[in-house]
Amino acid sequence: MLVTLIKELKTMKLPITCLFCCFTYATLAQDSKTVNYADFTGAIGRNQGSVAVDYFYVWKAGKSKKIEVGLGGRFTSYFASSQYYSSAPASLASDERASDSLLLQSPQVNALNLAINVGYRLSGKIGLGFNIDALGFSFGGKQTGSYLNGNLGQATSAKPTSFNILLIGNHDRGSLNSEFYARYFIKDKLAIKLAYQYLFTEYTTETKIQQLPEANDRFRNKASLFSLGLTKQF
Amino acid sequence: MKKLFILFLLGIALGCNPEDATPTDPANDAFDETMATLLREGTWMGSGSYNVSGVAQIYDDNGKKVLLLNNFSSSNGPDLRVYLSTTTGATSFVNLGELKSTRGKQTYSIPDGTDIDQFKFALIWCQQFSALFGKAETL
Repeated sequence: MLVTLIKELKTMKLPITCLFCCFTYATLAQDSKTVNYADFTGAIGRNQGSVAVDYFYVWKAGKSKKIEVGLGGRFTSYFASSQYYSSAPASLASDERASDSLLLQSPQVNALNLAINVGYRLSGKIGLGFNIDALGFSFGGKQTGSYLNGNLGQATSAKPTSFNILLIGNHDRGSLNSEFYARYFIKDKLAIKLAYQYLFTEYTTETKIQQLPEANDRFRNKASLFSLGLTKQF
Repeated sequence: MKKLFILFLLGIALGCNPEDATPTDPANDAFDETMATLLREGTWMGSGSYNVSGVAQIYDDNGKKVLLLNNFSSSNGPDLRVYLSTTTGATSFVNLGELKSTRGKQTYSIPDGTDIDQFKFALIWCQQFSALFGKAETL
């Protein structure tokens, strides 16, 4: 199993490996206590925002069962006005001179993803954690905008990239949400959730509008948002 | 709970602040028209409810092309840019930079290699909201 894990890491299939490990853990930890969390959050930033609904099946681990490892699903809807998207492929995103921009007037992306959650229950009332989307798909309407290459530009249109997958660094593809969060339980099974949300959304242009240094049709926006929501524990 | 909701609404309000508007102090760029060659010229016209007036002139100034906005005045707005475009809809354009001021004489360098016969429309364009404020067809 260790050899397989190393091979997977070498071929940059970390997310799939993580999912596999979580399932393995879940199978092994049959005596673990489990809980379910459902969250509804709204996030806001400059000229942009999002709403997200998620559901996580969580295994409690450790001697005092304070560590929480979960798998679940999340639906995120992102909406904004006038946002700049940058060249998404890793080979372009890592070089500022090679990265062009796509300015979209009213981006709106809906993403449904499998997600991973890791948390720690500090006390009966407070919990901290991190979650991230790993695999899924996105949909949304066609948007008009401008492709900007230095001081040159042209009108274009684009649609959300359909397939989402978490890889390493700029190798990610599609629209993926992640959160650092804190929960405060105001009732036995009801909590207020505060989170810092880091949300990638990605659009694909109708043609490979960027030609240099390589042909490209994928453009990504990285939004940093603060969110507030409610958690229901089941 | 009510306080948190109010805090969230406040966050939305602060997060939706508009971009800063264009400066309004009159520009007065130094450019001697008598020492340059006039290549093309047009008159500014506003689009929709926006008022833009003055003259757009393209000069050859010692081998460098320059767009001169003369007796210029424009409605104000966020993120206003000066474009040279093939159409009034900014289908294909060259961004000459942010509009320096809503009033006065101002110059913008045109990048080498720009075909001014093709990019014959000078535009005042709100890049943030993709809105045309004014246009001048240079002939």
